[in-house]
Amino acid sequence: MWLIYALGGGWGHLTRAIALARVAQRDRRVLILTNSPYAEAAAGAAAVRALPPGATADRTRQEVIRAIGECRPECLIVDTFPRGIGGELAGILAGLAARKVLVARDLNPRYVAAARLREFVAAHYDLVLVPGAGEGLQMGDLPAAFTTAPWLVRSAHEIPDRNRVRTLLRLAPHEEQCVLVCASGKPDELDWYGAVVRELLAAAAPVRLIAAARPPQCPEECWVRYWPALDLFACASVVVGGAGYNTVAECLAWDVPLVARAWPRAYDRQELRARNAGGRVTLVREPPEAARVALDLMRDHRRREPRFVNGAMEAAVRIASG
Amino acid sequence: MTPPLPPNWKCPRRVGFLFPHDCRRTTPVGCPDCQNGQIDDPYYSRADRYGYSRYDYYDDAYFFDFEPSYEPGAPDAGSMDFTEADGADLVEPGGQFENDMTES
Repeated sequence: MWLIYALGGGWGHLTRAIALARVAQRDRRVLILTNSPYAEAAAGAAAVRALPPGATADRTRQEVIRAIGECRPECLIVDTFPRGIGGELAGILAGLAARKVLVARDLNPRYVAAARLREFVAAHYDLVLVPGAGEGLQMGDLPAAFTTAPWLVRSAHEIPDRNRVRTLLRLAPHEEQCVLVCASGKPDELDWYGAVVRELLAAAAPVRLIAAARPPQCPEECWVRYWPALDLFACASVVVGGAGYNTVAECLAWDVPLVARAWPRAYDRQELRARNAGGRVTLVREPPEAARVALDLMRDHRRREPRFVNGAMEAAVRIASG
Repeated sequence: MTPPLPPNWKCPRRVGFLFPHDCRRTTPVGCPDCQNGQIDDPYYSRADRYGYSRYDYYDDAYFFDFEPSYEPGAPDAGSMDFTEADGADLVEPGGQFENDMTES
């Protein structure tokens, strides 16, 4: 059995874990360990052991150790945090009879230096997978590291057809495409996305907001509660979102322009990721600015087809090949 | 003068030139690192090392012959107190990391 450690807030760690699990579970049992408040999103997509999102750090550390002990995985795949998000893995990895794989998303270099993560990873991990070349600044050159294409929660052949997407987005007959506002991240960031929707509506732009919860400023008719948003990009002329791993990777996969707010995170460097995206991401700060840029970019009415490569496929093969 | 400190106060500064770690002193009084709380980041200058370009310059006054001499029974160089590898045990990730389980 493979156990994927995907602790951390928001959607990012969980979505990346599901991307791998969906591929890997065809040949073995895979379980995701997460404390994301969005764990229910994985229902039907992968097996999840959900820890309480609001638990104290000590309680979460204890639950993680207990879960790993009970699962006895043949392979432990740790997303982003080599020592565990609370440092709880540092004391157990050496004694764990499992193949250890790190999914090396970009990390705050101050943390990497302070915790001597490169030395730690070299000593404790059998394989390091960098999910997209831009994420490998810290661990990508380790001897055990391999870089794959970005991991996506869908492969190209799984994307719904255009008519289905139009139905899901409730687009009117005259609305060929829309501005897709993807509100991931922390709950207290939701209002920013709601304000962007309000600005776009004031300019009479077709807009849909994809979110687990509706911000007050977003009218009911513009809110679509759907996951994963990647399914819907065929009808997006432009996406407004954060600059987290999944949003950026999904927009690059679809070649749809992203208007992004780089949210501050303790570990993730969203602004750096956006600036390294080859000019496909425009950074903004305030909702009026986001709306103005989105309106300018939505004049591109190209029809996009899903032709992307899902790096999770190669990742699963790399892990399985030992 | 150092203002009164709350009960169970611990110094939040980071100290240590080679191995930065939490200070955790219970008072800044007499502290050789922050000098009675006068310096917010006592080892801020360690970041400056990366910008220093004159590592090879030493004033002649610094050059002198060095002959190690060992007293009978004194430990030799092979049993020094710690090595670079021990640094990993001394480093702590820092108070701002590994405490918030909802971060990303």
